[in-house]
Amino acid sequence: MYRKQVRRRRAALTLLILGSFLLLTITYGQDSGGVQRSVSTVFSPLQTVSDRALKPARDLVGWFDKTFDARGENSRLEAELVTARRQAVAGQEALQENAQLRRLVELDRGPALAESAYRPVTGRVIARSPTVWDSTVAIDVGSGDGVEVDDPVISGDGLVGLVASTQGGSSQVTLITDHASAVSAKVVPGGVQGVIRPDVGDPEDLILDFIDSTRDVHGGQSVVTSGWRAEGLASLFPPGLPVGEVTSASIVEQEASQQVHLRPYADIANLDLVQVLTGGSRR
Amino acid sequence: MIVTPKIFARLAAIAIVAVLLQLSFFSRVELIHTSADILPVVVASLGLLGGSLTGAVTGFSVGFLVDCLLVAPLGGSSLVLLGAGYLAGLFRERFDIHSALVPPLLCMGLTLLVELGFGVEQVMLGVDAPVSVLIVRDMLLKSVYAFFLAWPIYFGLRRLLRPALVEEPKLARRRQPTVLGA
Repeated sequence: MYRKQVRRRRAALTLLILGSFLLLTITYGQDSGGVQRSVSTVFSPLQTVSDRALKPARDLVGWFDKTFDARGENSRLEAELVTARRQAVAGQEALQENAQLRRLVELDRGPALAESAYRPVTGRVIARSPTVWDSTVAIDVGSGDGVEVDDPVISGDGLVGLVASTQGGSSQVTLITDHASAVSAKVVPGGVQGVIRPDVGDPEDLILDFIDSTRDVHGGQSVVTSGWRAEGLASLFPPGLPVGEVTSASIVEQEASQQVHLRPYADIANLDLVQVLTGGSRR
Repeated sequence: MIVTPKIFARLAAIAIVAVLLQLSFFSRVELIHTSADILPVVVASLGLLGGSLTGAVTGFSVGFLVDCLLVAPLGGSSLVLLGAGYLAGLFRERFDIHSALVPPLLCMGLTLLVELGFGVEQVMLGVDAPVSVLIVRDMLLKSVYAFFLAWPIYFGLRRLLRPALVEEPKLARRRQPTVLGA
């Protein structure tokens, strides 16, 4: 009797393991079809309700966490403010100069106009992946709101990620800190271009790779999306979206490139409201 | 564990509530830059209460639901969590739980194992980006959080599933020798 029970248990375990491997093999790297969409659609209202209900508790824990973090943050922010003031003054001058140059060459299309082709749809984060290996979030807007796969997602501070899949009333967003993420970007001022990749496990650090070691990149510079377009191909991100601030730059040994570390502007760990840039000129 | 339709419904409800709580709350609050993961704790607790088969099936189901809701490759979380549930159940079948410290400690160890499992799985499937050493801190802190969360979760689940649990003979409390009149 006992042996029969043990055999039955082992058979069930083998079946479950084989089932997991089978599911993983079938669904890895491709669209898993209707099952996930159906489950996600059914649970989406429940997720929205639990998200709203648990928000006060989240805010409370967040308040404690941020209070501890705030120590030491003040002096860093004061230093940043001084730099930002200098940059703002320089920016005002650059804007004036830019306006004059535009009038001179009669340019009437700029990045701002290109961005206006996007229709922002505001959504709320309703779920987040439990492991740092996968940085994905679910938001409460989907194909019913005009959201499509590969639409860029931003927060009030900067770039957040890209829509990976959509259902009627919800979407999954792959964050810029996910191991599968890669964003073409440039350092401003200077225009040095590279590809932003995450440092898996550290959501406050991104790496701008493939930068020529002869180019001068230093801390405090901003990094924005480059939004390239060539031979019918185009970047998924519009140009000029702020991504982060350079924290350090180091030359990679035996390579002609340097690795630039940056801190994302968006508070990736505490996302709440985001905007999906639907439409866009790439289509 | 005697799984009647009523108990099955309770187990399903526990799994759904745990997944919703994890995705909507625990994954989104951080203490010392790390969020807690209650899913290994819930699965291990159910394994400890119900045995290896209950643990494995619950782990598989919870993992499947998580992958569905996050539209991640199906089977990834299931594979890791069913292992945790099965091991917890196996522990219950082989050893007696003499101390109230055992479930939290086991949940802590299994959470660390689950996090390592996720890491191994990701490495085998291919990680294109560099991996920070901070991931080790994340894993360790997650297992410490699991230790503290296991107290309310394990004892709460035991209370919820009490009608289905096979009664174990309670250890007779040894009465301390007393002096008459004291």
